[in-house]
Amino acid sequence: MCFGRSVSLLCTVLFFLVSCGKREQESTSLVFWSSTNSQEIDFSRKYIELWNNNPSNKPIVFQPVPEGQSSEEVVLAAVVGMTTPDMYANMWQGDVEDFAQSGVLVALDSLEGFLEFIHARCDSSVVKEITSQNGHIYQIPWKVNPIMMMYNPKVFEIAGITEVPDTYEDYLEAGLKLKEKNLMLGISETGAIWWQRFFNFLPLYYAASGGMPLVENGKAIFNSEHGIAVFAFLQKLYSSNFFSRENLKGQSDPFLASKLALTFTGPWTIEYNDRFKADGFEFEFAPVPLSDTSSAPIYSYGDPYKIVFFNTCRDPQYAWRFLKSILTAEADKDFMELSGQMPRRKDLDSNPLFLSYLESHPKLLPFAKQAKYVRGIDSQTHMKEVLDLISAEYEACVVYGKKDPRDAIEDAAKAVELLYIE
Amino acid sequence: MSTLKRNNLASYLLVSPYILHVFVFVLFPVAFSLFLTFHEWNIIGPMKYVGLTNYEKLLQDQYFFKSIRNTLVFLLIHIPLQIVIALGLAVMLNQKIWFRAFFRGSFFMPVVVSGVVITILWQQLYGYEVGTINMALNSLGFEKVGWLIDPVWAMPSIAIMATWKNVGLYIILFLVGLQSVPRSLYEAADLEGATSWQKFWHITLPVINPTVVMVMILSTISGFSLFIEPYVMTNGGPLNATLSSVLYIYKQGFFYYHMGYAATLGLIFALLILLVVFIQRKVIEKKQA
Amino acid sequence: MKKIIMYIFLVIAAIAFLYPFIWMVSASLSEERSIAHITFFPVNFTFSHYTKLFETITIGRSLLNSVFVSALVTGGVLVFGSMVGYALARHRFKGRAFIFYLIIFTMTLPFQLTLIPNYILMVKFGWTNTFLALIVPGMLNAFAILLFRQHFLSIPQDLIDAARIDGCNEMRILFQVLWPVSVPTLITVGIITFMTTWNDVLWPIIVIRDEKLMTMPQLVTLFAVGGRSFGQIGMKLASATLLAMPIIIAYLIFQKYFIESMAASGQKE
Repeated sequence: MCFGRSVSLLCTVLFFLVSCGKREQESTSLVFWSSTNSQEIDFSRKYIELWNNNPSNKPIVFQPVPEGQSSEEVVLAAVVGMTTPDMYANMWQGDVEDFAQSGVLVALDSLEGFLEFIHARCDSSVVKEITSQNGHIYQIPWKVNPIMMMYNPKVFEIAGITEVPDTYEDYLEAGLKLKEKNLMLGISETGAIWWQRFFNFLPLYYAASGGMPLVENGKAIFNSEHGIAVFAFLQKLYSSNFFSRENLKGQSDPFLASKLALTFTGPWTIEYNDRFKADGFEFEFAPVPLSDTSSAPIYSYGDPYKIVFFNTCRDPQYAWRFLKSILTAEADKDFMELSGQMPRRKDLDSNPLFLSYLESHPKLLPFAKQAKYVRGIDSQTHMKEVLDLISAEYEACVVYGKKDPRDAIEDAAKAVELLYIE
Repeated sequence: MSTLKRNNLASYLLVSPYILHVFVFVLFPVAFSLFLTFHEWNIIGPMKYVGLTNYEKLLQDQYFFKSIRNTLVFLLIHIPLQIVIALGLAVMLNQKIWFRAFFRGSFFMPVVVSGVVITILWQQLYGYEVGTINMALNSLGFEKVGWLIDPVWAMPSIAIMATWKNVGLYIILFLVGLQSVPRSLYEAADLEGATSWQKFWHITLPVINPTVVMVMILSTISGFSLFIEPYVMTNGGPLNATLSSVLYIYKQGFFYYHMGYAATLGLIFALLILLVVFIQRKVIEKKQA
Repeated sequence: MKKIIMYIFLVIAAIAFLYPFIWMVSASLSEERSIAHITFFPVNFTFSHYTKLFETITIGRSLLNSVFVSALVTGGVLVFGSMVGYALARHRFKGRAFIFYLIIFTMTLPFQLTLIPNYILMVKFGWTNTFLALIVPGMLNAFAILLFRQHFLSIPQDLIDAARIDGCNEMRILFQVLWPVSVPTLITVGIITFMTTWNDVLWPIIVIRDEKLMTMPQLVTLFAVGGRSFGQIGMKLASATLLAMPIIIAYLIFQKYFIESMAASGQKE
């Protein structure tokens, strides 16, 4: 009958969809997600293949975190939809505390051999930084990406700037000189999204304050002379048209087009520049600016990313066995070679394995040096909202000059402190 | 008797897919949405009853009002522009001209192409330092315009782009309307020596008035449904000048997982749309009378 | 004289509507640094954006996903929509008027109202990250039912009576007698459904977070806003070009049907 044919065909297709749509949870393999950075994808592929080639090992399934506006958004959706991977290697530190408190992460210190490993890999200060408020550890510190100032020496040359600017004053002077030549001083993220502050406010604030936290015990520590000074300085860059109001994402890269002199970024940019630059294009790195550079060292934001296990993981102990294979010194060196990012381990500047590599790659040297003076993000809940609130004021005050820096910082602080009132 | 009964059974069988569908995907969600507005829930944790808190929050939420204002800015630019351009081109296409199919086909092209394509494309055209439009303006000796980075320009820029994308559809709708104008009316007017402007004003416009209403209503709905354009181009910035109602629901719902508040926003925006459409109908119907 | 001015206007308008597409294609074939140029042909021709794009995202797979999802949704709407439309037009049964007004009522409901609860429904059904979430909710819509009802009202009763005398049941009447004489309506509903499903981005972004299952417009959107395009305009424009291609080709072939269908969709108010 016709009814039988057309409708039951549809039903069959639907049934088929239901059955194959169900995620293959039955299988014994573990799922590993990396970031979407192409070098990290290469790295993860390489090591997972190595693991899977050993027939006695349970297979690991690899996938970069699905594409989204930010990976944090995708991971949160996965948590809600209960489609999280077993292991995730691109967890932003600021999310860990929130996830830990809602019980979706595996407490790693309960795993055999974890504590010995972590103390061998990291300084006690780092171990302290990653310990959660309830005393457990939910994250493995894997990599840091210190944010530094990247500049184009040829553009400085055109404007007759001989010394690389490093104070607020230098920046403003350089901006003026560049403007005469119809060039711009720089560009940075201008939107009001939380992660965009990684590349401007956060590193400059850590530099200005010598690595003070944003929030502590429900108080907005950034509401200080340091925070206000950073806002005021950046505001001046935009109001004098030294910095472009254009967002860095979306249009073609004006830094590579030599239209401006500098931006703030991490070591992954080296590989990117080498891939896309024109012949003869030059770039160098320097610490982020300060009002007064006399008191070294200069801190910056470290952009640390962590590896976590989600509670959907059926065999955390086995996952840990695999994970150790990508955290060996050789693997870390491989990772540095492939991605240009810094593994977070205490022997980065003492182990000859890393030293010899850094020496042959001078572009990475400033980052290795900076890696000692980085701050991650405070181990507090609501960090994304904190940065969102700062960002809203940042956009209004710094980028569009609609607000006085002092008022902007104070308003942000008030809104932030509301988050922590129970 | 027995055939009637069998027929009745067949009738219910035929409509059963709709009954099932409308209950699961429309009526239940509407009821659940009302229920949600009195709760706070992030799906992972337990649901919490919060009374009218979501509604109180909404009344103090500057972003909510900002998104309404943005939608109004969009509509104020989009609707007149849409009607003038669509009507103008439709009137031209309604004459005896060469290459009519070609013109009609090319105006309609952006309608069929995905909004994502249009948005990615126009983002490049609208660029400030290296955008194609600004480069053209520059070479003609004009100042560069901060299409997407100037809070004043950002929403109008999106409205212009949306007009460009949709106008082809409205040209077709107007053409259908224009073709229903009786030729004899024009001939009679010619005998009386009416100018073409008079003919347009007194003969054409009254006939196509229902089409104008329709275009307004469709544009209003699309204005309240703006999502992909600000999502890709500006993410609601600069200074929230392009934060649309759907983008705001998306942010509250799928970024912060404030499901209760997002449902409240959805409910209020839905009521607003119905209200605006209702007013448009009433006002125009009155004019016609 | 008037005619000449009119042609000038029309030609300018045609350029305004077509040139951006031409620019997009030629820019996607130009070297990254030459992209902003106002040009007709690629500057420093290169195919590399496309090869890099295929290396980075599974855009071919997403095309298949889109075709699969849109085809199933369209099939569902045609089968179920015509069933309900037929019953409403040619059957008398208790509750018919109620169902008709229910359809009219649900048509006026803006989607903003049901977005959040429908997402929660998908989570609770366990349908997130499955095609079911993309297909099942779209398999029926009020507009298609009304178009079918309208059309079936105009069919002569003799045709149906003759089939009944031959002993056909209702399903056979619908699919073997009425469908063959309803091709224009089927095309209209089919094109509109296919296009709306194909072009939808918001719903897929919400319910699908697994790249293997993403639809093509969704993948291109997320590629444009996400990190993997490295801010490379050439690659973004290449992805946009690929996304535009299937629909533009279909449009060039079936132009008449597209325009008529969309005009019909406008009449719904």
